[in-house]
Amino acid sequence: MPLDITLYGIQMPTLLPIFIIVAILQIAIDGIITDTGIYRHVWHPGLFKMALFVCFFTLACLTIYH
Amino acid sequence: MSLSKTAPFGTLLIFSLKNAPKEWLLKDAPTLIYMAKATLAALLALMISMMLTLPDPRTAIFTTFIVMQPQSGLVFSKSYYRVLGTIAGVVVSFLMVGAFAQEPMWFIFFFAIWIGITTAAGVKYRNFQSYGFVLAGYTLCIVALPVIEQPMEIFNIATSRFSEVMVGILCATVVSEIFFPRKLSDSLLTSERERFESVLASLVDENSLFGAQDMKDAEVVKFSSGVVGVHAVAVNSAFESAIDKRNRLYLEQLNIEFMHLSTTFHSLKNIVGNIELHTSNETVDNLKKLYAPFAKVLQNVSNLDEEGFHSMINQLKELKEIIHSRFTEQQNSLEAHFGSDEYDAFRSAGYLITRILDEFFIYANSYLAFYRLKSSGKATKELSRVVRFKTHTDNLLVTLAALRGSGVLLITMAFWILSGWKYGTLTITMAVVIGLLIGTLPRPLDAVINFLKGAVSAAFVAALYDFYIVPEFATDAYTLSLVVTPVFAFVGWMTTKPKWAGFSLGFVFLFMSQTSFDLYYKIDPTTFLETTIASLLGVSFAGAAYMLVNFWSCSLSQKRVAKVLRGQIVFLCNAPLNFQRGSLESMGRDMIQQFSTQGQLNIRSNRLVYEWLLATLEIGGAIIRVRKNLNRLNGEFKMINQSLEGIKQYFQAPTEALRQSLLESLKNAIKSLHVEHKQEANIVAELPLIRTILLSRVSIPMPKEGSCR
Repeated sequence: MPLDITLYGIQMPTLLPIFIIVAILQIAIDGIITDTGIYRHVWHPGLFKMALFVCFFTLACLTIYH
Repeated sequence: MSLSKTAPFGTLLIFSLKNAPKEWLLKDAPTLIYMAKATLAALLALMISMMLTLPDPRTAIFTTFIVMQPQSGLVFSKSYYRVLGTIAGVVVSFLMVGAFAQEPMWFIFFFAIWIGITTAAGVKYRNFQSYGFVLAGYTLCIVALPVIEQPMEIFNIATSRFSEVMVGILCATVVSEIFFPRKLSDSLLTSERERFESVLASLVDENSLFGAQDMKDAEVVKFSSGVVGVHAVAVNSAFESAIDKRNRLYLEQLNIEFMHLSTTFHSLKNIVGNIELHTSNETVDNLKKLYAPFAKVLQNVSNLDEEGFHSMINQLKELKEIIHSRFTEQQNSLEAHFGSDEYDAFRSAGYLITRILDEFFIYANSYLAFYRLKSSGKATKELSRVVRFKTHTDNLLVTLAALRGSGVLLITMAFWILSGWKYGTLTITMAVVIGLLIGTLPRPLDAVINFLKGAVSAAFVAALYDFYIVPEFATDAYTLSLVVTPVFAFVGWMTTKPKWAGFSLGFVFLFMSQTSFDLYYKIDPTTFLETTIASLLGVSFAGAAYMLVNFWSCSLSQKRVAKVLRGQIVFLCNAPLNFQRGSLESMGRDMIQQFSTQGQLNIRSNRLVYEWLLATLEIGGAIIRVRKNLNRLNGEFKMINQSLEGIKQYFQAPTEALRQSLLESLKNAIKSLHVEHKQEANIVAELPLIRTILLSRVSIPMPKEGSCR
């Protein structure tokens, strides 16, 4: 994938839409994890969430920088 | 000799040495951690904005300080509304600049309307929602005003402001969530436990009910602010994912049940106080006898674990039967003995005692269920439908705030246009910001003065940084971060002190706008002086507006409160039958809270208004219950309907004649019930309560002469 994309005439870094999509995904996953009560067994829920987000985001970014 | 003297000293020393670390952990450590977190977030925001070459890193740093809160749930909540507010402000800026950049009159007109709307909404809404509106108004100033001469620039400014705000928010949320996170949900169990223990303590202590009436003013204020505060916590905790929906529902339920219990408790206390003044000791003695077994059961509760709770609840269950039947016995035996006023007073106080028992039983049950949920994760009690927490804001207060906001804008605009000063926009921005932001704080005028003090001190600190420290020591982003760290830490420390709220706000505002946080150093003394003067002028304009639009006096507040409370009683006479007592109580408390912070009620009238509120809640609750019972019984109750009509008439336009006739008709209604429908104990309990409250003239919501002095 290219480093920059043009969405309906506006040029932007591809990272931006990826960030937004991953953030939405993260909110959905976070909701599921909360409902199943997994956070009760996690030592540091905040760090866990953050790490999860970083994993997803970097995975998606690998497709650009591959 | 010397040994006996040193021994207590030694134990004292050991005691204090033992307790010092504990105290430090409880009190100082959280402050230090918060300071470190705020500083870290601000430095992170500075570094990231510099790396991304955003044009104005100070907006990002400023944002971190604004949204940073001790608990992460509060940070998320505030950030969420900050984003929403910024988006709304940016969109309106586009519209305004797009449509009216060439038309000063229209531009100013719509500008004033927008500021008026956002100020009004900021006062009308609660919690951080109000902050969202404040931001929506303020963003228009910082986006649209600087580009008014070059309208084509607006898109750049808007995107960069938005990115800076986002960077600031991300830094604040990540730091507060990852480093030593403090959750709202963690503090919930502790604070609920503390509340339960204090309820227990005041119920056990018979003197708190039957003793002398020396209620402290703090207690009066706490009566409403406690419930409103816990509700705010429950609302904000929605932003923490670790706290699930069930927890929050329990919390709201407990809050409502506590609210009912505390209303009953304080009403009983009031009525007992009146009885002690006006009747014989015998009445009070009988009430004490009725209450004693309840206090005894509570006294035996030693440890508040699950088992202790269980046995307490079982005992209370049995006790409920006993006290109810004892009350009936007492009523029958005392009927011939007492005069009608005294008998009514006894009946209403006794009824309140049985109600306290019932309500405490419900509250303790919910607390036990919440405790179990927290300790084992299992829900044991089905929650009933949660009552919606209602708020009430006086429309006159809102209108005044809107007028003040728009007025300040128009005057500063005029100042800018007439003077033709390049930095006039800064004056406008500062004045509008203060009009919006401080209007939502308690005691606005004091807050503005503190804001000014903070701003002036910040100007000196900023000058020191701009002309000595930054040019001397800062060569790149890292050294700049290093040299500003002490100030960030100081600001972080200040924001933990509620007393310094206005001062720290002013300090942050001016320090951020005047210090050189730019990509390259571009400060010169003339610009610095001019912009500082422009900002301080803005503060003075806003302060003058707060001083001028201040005809909101104590007696006016009292009049408004009394009118609303009376209106509630009239409304309840015709309200739909499914109207809940919780809605009435939460609305009443929220309104009093609002008036005592914004409407300038002094301490003495706080006390008075508190009595009005209690009377209204009791009469209102009694009306609902009587009407529900009448509906259920389906019979002809002419006397009672007449009394209800009398209540409505009296509270629509209270006069002494109406009061007398109402008291008479209530007396007749009580008698009629007593003779014909003795089995309808429910109504028999409510009507004497209304009558007893009406007998004491102080508690009827009507402004009294001299209560404002």
